[in-house]
Amino acid sequence: MSQPQQSTVRNRLLKALTPSDFALLQPHLELVATELRQPLIKPNEPVKQLYFPEVGFSSITTQGSGGKVEIGIIGREGLVGVIPLLLGSDRTPHDHFVQGPGEMLAISSQAFCGAVNESASLHKLLLRFTQVQYVQTAQTAFVNASYQIEVRLARWLLMCHDRLDGDELRLTHEFLSMMLGTQRTSATLAVQALEGHRFIKAQRGRVTILDREALENLADDGYGLPEAEYARLIEGA
Amino acid sequence: MPRYFFNVRHRPGPAGLARDPEGEELVDANAARERALTVARAMIARDRLVTIRDWMDCTFEITDGDGQIVLTVPFSDTVPDADNGD
Repeated sequence: MSQPQQSTVRNRLLKALTPSDFALLQPHLELVATELRQPLIKPNEPVKQLYFPEVGFSSITTQGSGGKVEIGIIGREGLVGVIPLLLGSDRTPHDHFVQGPGEMLAISSQAFCGAVNESASLHKLLLRFTQVQYVQTAQTAFVNASYQIEVRLARWLLMCHDRLDGDELRLTHEFLSMMLGTQRTSATLAVQALEGHRFIKAQRGRVTILDREALENLADDGYGLPEAEYARLIEGA
Repeated sequence: MPRYFFNVRHRPGPAGLARDPEGEELVDANAARERALTVARAMIARDRLVTIRDWMDCTFEITDGDGQIVLTVPFSDTVPDADNGD
């Protein structure tokens, strides 16, 4: 099978690498198809593989007594599994699973760690991504503490939209309530509110983004901080 | 088990009903009422929405698979009757 080329990969982190850093990773990258809800990294088990999303994205959740709650999202801007390995652990207490199906470039943790040890510039770029992911997680805490559910939904939809091809997202209210850390009925009320304003169209098992600008206005400063940090730290904007 | 749909009436008129598109399977209407009270308590305790000024104005309109209202559960039913107290 032919190896992915830096000119044609869609993962923004891979694109941001120097050609020599990309060459370090390239022989170890394997394109894998990913299905909705497929586990990528299981909690408290050694990370065997990391994933650069090409199409689709991963949700990071924590398990509480009331069920799972989402704490972060990683799509084609990132690398799933990088944080524990880079920060000196071999595992994470958090669950990582596929939320938007598609395909990802997988790399074994062994090959990954070998490449990071060889290249200071690769190590630094990945630390910067870790910083962005930290800012995103902190932002989730801020938004959950400070904003009503309609605003949290708007932010979450924008984050998904950033990582999607097209405007349609497949999801149930049951799943959405897990993502937002609310009762399912509250998710239903928030969906109805946004649909009433024609910001989105909701059909059974599907939500379509109709007015992104309006969602950004509603999300206010709940959205945009980690995205700006990514542009600054990774893409040099 | 029958499926019950937990629609919420939060204002009068067609726009004031949030329809539950998914529903939940429960043994009977009594179980649906208990579930509604549990969910209402959790929403009152933790969930804040721009759309809802006062949870006590909300009512679950629980329907069956045919869309017929099986029972209504006002969120205020989560509070014990005041005249039972003291």
